[in-house]
Amino acid sequence: MSETLSEPLIEVKDLRVEFDVRAGIVKAVDGLTLTIQRGKTLGVIGESGCGKSMTARAILNMIPKPGRITHGKIVYHRRLQNNGQSQMDDIVELTELDPDGKVIREIRGGEIGMIFQEPMSSLTPVYTAGVHINEAVALHHLTPVRKVGDQLAEQVMAHRTVTKEEAREIAIKMLQRVGIPKPAQRVDSYPHQLSGGQRQRVMIAIALSCEPAMLIADEPTTALDVSIEAQILDIMRELQESVNMAIMFITHNLGVIASMADEIVVMYMGKAVEQAKVVDLFKDAKHPYTQALLKSIPHLGKKKVGGRLASISGMTPDPFNLPTGCVFHPRCPMFMPGKCDKIVPSWTKVGENHWVSCLLYEEV
Amino acid sequence: MAVVEQSQPMPTLSTKQKQVGQSYWSLVWWKFRRNRVAVVGGAILLTFYISFVFLPEFISPYALQHSSDYAEAGPTPIHFVDQAGKFHLQPFVYGMEQKLDFKTRARTYVEDTTRMYPIKFFAKGDPYKLFGLIPVDIHLYGVDQKNDSQAIVLLMGADALGRDWFTRIMYGGRLSLLIGLIGQVMTILFGTVLGVISGFYGGAVDQIIQRSTEFLSTFPDIPLFMALAAAIPPFWPALTSYFMLTIILSFVRWGGLARQVRGLILSLREREYALAAKSAGASDVRVMFRHLMPGTMSHVIVIATLAIPGMILAETALSWLGLGIRAPLTSWGVLLQDAASVRAIHNTPWELWTVPFILVTILAYNMLGDGLRDALDPYGAR
Repeated sequence: MSETLSEPLIEVKDLRVEFDVRAGIVKAVDGLTLTIQRGKTLGVIGESGCGKSMTARAILNMIPKPGRITHGKIVYHRRLQNNGQSQMDDIVELTELDPDGKVIREIRGGEIGMIFQEPMSSLTPVYTAGVHINEAVALHHLTPVRKVGDQLAEQVMAHRTVTKEEAREIAIKMLQRVGIPKPAQRVDSYPHQLSGGQRQRVMIAIALSCEPAMLIADEPTTALDVSIEAQILDIMRELQESVNMAIMFITHNLGVIASMADEIVVMYMGKAVEQAKVVDLFKDAKHPYTQALLKSIPHLGKKKVGGRLASISGMTPDPFNLPTGCVFHPRCPMFMPGKCDKIVPSWTKVGENHWVSCLLYEEV
Repeated sequence: MAVVEQSQPMPTLSTKQKQVGQSYWSLVWWKFRRNRVAVVGGAILLTFYISFVFLPEFISPYALQHSSDYAEAGPTPIHFVDQAGKFHLQPFVYGMEQKLDFKTRARTYVEDTTRMYPIKFFAKGDPYKLFGLIPVDIHLYGVDQKNDSQAIVLLMGADALGRDWFTRIMYGGRLSLLIGLIGQVMTILFGTVLGVISGFYGGAVDQIIQRSTEFLSTFPDIPLFMALAAAIPPFWPALTSYFMLTIILSFVRWGGLARQVRGLILSLREREYALAAKSAGASDVRVMFRHLMPGTMSHVIVIATLAIPGMILAETALSWLGLGIRAPLTSWGVLLQDAASVRAIHNTPWELWTVPFILVTILAYNMLGDGLRDALDPYGAR
């Protein structure tokens, strides 16, 4: 983290995603604002159904059917690498793009890759690992082994269709990079012949084969056991350093996010409640929800034997019938009657890169 | 396998690797092979298709239009023992003499035991082009006609023009078996493509496609065929109208398959790999036909195999009604039409030889389809 220079890659501004279902309107994401820096990892945590995955899918403009983006914008600082030395940033508004158009399809996979929670079902069962990687490469017309700094080679190689042998070589190289043993044999394996961890590695290989500027990892290790989880996280960290890629890491596991992220956004009911650097968040959480979350993880040697783990009282509110004021107030231990149930808190700066949405830190 | 090069210390590992290398289709083949009935069905069909589609010129002793003086002659008796009681290893036939009953005007044929013609294998006969390319005049079996043009062997009798019925069945099989296959290929094409689109997009597209399948299924088959067959101009060449018939058959029948494929796609599109493909930048068309459609293929193969007999039967029925393939062309339906009168059944019962061929084909298809269904189902018992 020696680089102090921060460049925004994705800026989500006041994003609202609503699902118009028969029982009413569900606000999956409700006024979310966040920034993902180039080459950095942003962790997004929150309970199930708090809108983490929807945010990720909104970035790729892939909101499923009854849902739609009703408000806000997502700005993507696209870097065009075509003209050798001078890199130009082009500002693309992702929400404005045609969801089936050519531009968004170039960005999906080519510039923003995504990996999913279930490695068991995210590979098409009829194709081998190699075919999957080759498809990703073919879709974006790139030979993925572009050497950084070798600009000449890059120019020659871009927009050239790869031959079958080359494609195979590329696939094997990618599998090797994500640490799959015997890549030359594994390249011909079908998904059902791979273990869960290997499949997730293949998914990462697919996502990385086009050297995206950002990787969205939607709970990539939730379905894996702990030892495999550690390996996958190691690989992601290693690869991130080697290709200078941003990661949006979605999880509900505080331990994982502590080891992965540079910055963390905590979400609750479609809203960001707190954003801070990792250290700040774990040392000095401001929002009562974040504090409660942190209290609910066991600490080695901290608690007395036999003591019970803290839990957050109450239940997540009914999405059709959200509480007034701060959505967290019915469960909040610091509830201030007459204030929290009346006034919607705003995004307040409480420190260096530390933002919180709570009336405790607001002068009202 | 490259196991040796890596010098694996444990031999058990290498056997494990071999198991890992088993692809889906090799497992299917392994399972299919254990089903005797299905293998027999498949073997019958393979034999039928090779001999009827590619080799009827070779297997039948005469050319299709080879007519003889032996109109409505019954099957030629094949002998091994001659008048003197001597056994011949090579079977032979006698010459035939036509007798006319002046009262009933009925023709009968009696054997002329003075003339003996041995049946030869790979006999020379009518010239033809093998696979439409190589000129040959050798037939699987036959009698030598060089010395005596009266020599003839009619395994299954002759029709009213003295044409060998077996020859006609062979040539008729070509059209009948092909129309089933071609028609089914087109049905699969229509059914899968429309089914995939319908299931993937849902909404208005789905409504339109599903309602049209319902609309098509409300038509009664036979009157529709009659109307459509009437719409084909009579001056079109026989082969063109034959292809039109194929298209008509598949156009009416894609609905059922389209619905089944739609159902499968409805569940497959919710799988994460559809989302993963989309997030990798794949277009809708690519997601549909490259990622989702293969998942329906095993189902489609089974349905298609079980539906081909229906196509063959439909062709037979239509041609029998005079709506399908017409006289200068030969199909099993046309042959059945020849045999479809009380007079024919009484006087020339051998013309019913077409029926067992149709029955065996359809039975074989059902046997094969059943076996494929069991083999392709990964969750099946056994």
